[in-house]
Amino acid sequence: MKLAGNDMLIQSLVNEGVEYIFGYPGGAALHIYDAIFNQNELQHILVRHEQGATHAADGYARATGKPGVVLVTSGPGATNAITGIATAFMDSIPMVVISGQVASHLIGTDAFQETDMIGISRPIVKHSFTVESAEKIPQIIKEAFYIATSGRPGPVVIDIPKDTTAPDKLFDFNPPESVEIRSYNPPIEPDPKQIERAVIEILKAKKPVIYAGGGAINSNASEELFELNQLLNFPVTNTLMGLGVYPAKDERFMGMLGMHGTYQSNMAMHNADLIIAIGARFDDRITNTPDLFAPNAKIIHFDVDQSSVSKIIEANIAVFGQVKNSLIELIKQLKDKTDLINGDLIKPWLEEINKWTELHGLNHELYKENSDTNMILPQAVIQHVYNITEGKAFVTSDVGQHQMFAAQYYHFDKPRYWINSGGLGTMGFGLPSAMGVKLAYPEEEVVCITGEGSIQMCIQELSTCTQYNLPVKIININNEALGMVKQWQDMNYGGRHSESTYKSSLPNFVELVESYGHVGFKIEKNSELKTTLEKAFSIKDKLVFIDIYVDPGEHVYPMLVAPNGSLKDMWLSKDKKV
Amino acid sequence: MMQRKILVILENKPGALVRIVGLFHQRGYNIESLHVDPVSDIENYKDIEDLLNLKLKENEVSKLLITTTVSDNLLRQILRQINKLIDVLIAKEEI
Ligand SMILES: Cc1ncc(C[n+]2csc(CCOP(=O)(O)OP(=O)(O)O)c2C)c(N)n1
Ligand SMILES: [Mg+2]
Repeated sequence: MKLAGNDMLIQSLVNEGVEYIFGYPGGAALHIYDAIFNQNELQHILVRHEQGATHAADGYARATGKPGVVLVTSGPGATNAITGIATAFMDSIPMVVISGQVASHLIGTDAFQETDMIGISRPIVKHSFTVESAEKIPQIIKEAFYIATSGRPGPVVIDIPKDTTAPDKLFDFNPPESVEIRSYNPPIEPDPKQIERAVIEILKAKKPVIYAGGGAINSNASEELFELNQLLNFPVTNTLMGLGVYPAKDERFMGMLGMHGTYQSNMAMHNADLIIAIGARFDDRITNTPDLFAPNAKIIHFDVDQSSVSKIIEANIAVFGQVKNSLIELIKQLKDKTDLINGDLIKPWLEEINKWTELHGLNHELYKENSDTNMILPQAVIQHVYNITEGKAFVTSDVGQHQMFAAQYYHFDKPRYWINSGGLGTMGFGLPSAMGVKLAYPEEEVVCITGEGSIQMCIQELSTCTQYNLPVKIININNEALGMVKQWQDMNYGGRHSESTYKSSLPNFVELVESYGHVGFKIEKNSELKTTLEKAFSIKDKLVFIDIYVDPGEHVYPMLVAPNGSLKDMWLSKDKKV
Repeated sequence: MMQRKILVILENKPGALVRIVGLFHQRGYNIESLHVDPVSDIENYKDIEDLLNLKLKENEVSKLLITTTVSDNLLRQILRQINKLIDVLIAKEEI
């Protein structure tokens, strides 16, 4: 078969199983857009800003485990995509970003809309390619998808000069069936000897904790993790990125850990004698001061990325490989030794943890107590949303206090249902990522929990939702401020709210969304909270935006004491520190 | 802290070198000296061929020598990060 560069590109994407491309056209990409027009095997979703395209592709990837695909033009199109690429990079999300480039003979001449996309994106991609000639397109696409999805996943940029997609030059189209890159061999199977060493530590631990993160989700290791803990019965905590990989409803689940983690999770980590890290990378929101981190714990670290191990906290036993495969081997070895698993050894530890939970655990019935007061508590909003959706919704979030309340009070029993920007903390992520999820799972409830600050960073995507009829629910936790910034200013800057409020300038969100053809509700009274939310969620065929005015003085707790604190040093309320 | 020599064998492709240099810069490691050459004397790279279980062709890969002053832990971290780069065949300390 003979095809031009633009058609080879699209056909190669179809061969990779791509259903959706999220993008925005422009000069350098027009040959590609013409090829999109002439086919119907994949659908292009026209966003309103390239940042929206990257987050939508990212949301699609997080929910499905398949790579998200983005297409942008050169220059401003490419630079607008940068924030979304960095977001995906920090959270190890598979994504392929195709950026148009000026024609090869113009590169280096400061041509119209020329920008060095490969240079700009280099520190925030797993890898990147420049297409030097059209013949290489099928091979490059194959390699890009392989790199994006294997090992520790991540975004791959393909910069494609306009002449290589010209419709008038035809080439033999012989796409490769598979690909091998001799300089790239991510570990898959673990070293069984390392697992043997891990088993010895596991069998004698008196105060163990399993600490699982986003890597366990990327590796689809959720079932293995559960099976492992059917044998061990160890307490489990998840990172912000890992929520859902272990069922929240399980008795052994302690909640999230870290900066805004639960009291019991942070205390258990601090006092542990063994930490089993599974696809988690000990970042600064988890360790607090590294020198003070878990002083008595041995560390077993399971990860696919060698450079993540012993980077911040030295591991005693490192197991490199796909986390799923490593857990399968661990389970196998433990099953041969079930007679040596002594549940009594950890009994006092489980009791100690239960006491911590009783003492300062989160109040999951807050919404009941809150019902008589005037002010709506943001936590209570999340609890109502959880109850109404029966814990079954996909929840995307933006960044700020509302994100932490969602992570604390919406309980995730399955992986890939909690979708947030954990590593980069990108405001503006929530709405476009919800679009990507809704496209992947049109029959499922998709809820975006946002703040009035974050939503305005990608609010233009409300128009995309109209065009493609994407009936997501948007819960706007409106505290009329950049709440998380304000909280830090309250705690560390004597309450001086420098540039963190904008009260009189907020739009009328209900009128705003109605102008796009969506449905809007405004909730100001506690007495209306539950009934209006129920009404909003009963609407299935339209995007519904629920603008909820909450207590603007509310803070997120627990909060780690920093700088110089350990994991046991927490603020539990505005005036209570432990 | 002591001065170390790092040897990197990487694909002789545009963009491969700058990724390594960029990595040093981005992570705040200082490069004291840097030398890069295409590998034409493949007969002297039998040990690398054995290590990687592959056959090299003339000028197909480049050899990069970097000196930097770092601690043991940091050296290990740097090597792991360089080895993670897609175009790198191997990075190791040259003793
Ligand atoms: C793009 C971007 N800019 C700045 C920040 C810093 N930041 C973190 S949370 C926050 C406030 C978010 O306000 P809002 O969305 O209203 O959420 P709230 O904390 O009030 O719930 C800011 C400005 C960020 N995370 N992302
Ligand atoms: Mg706010």
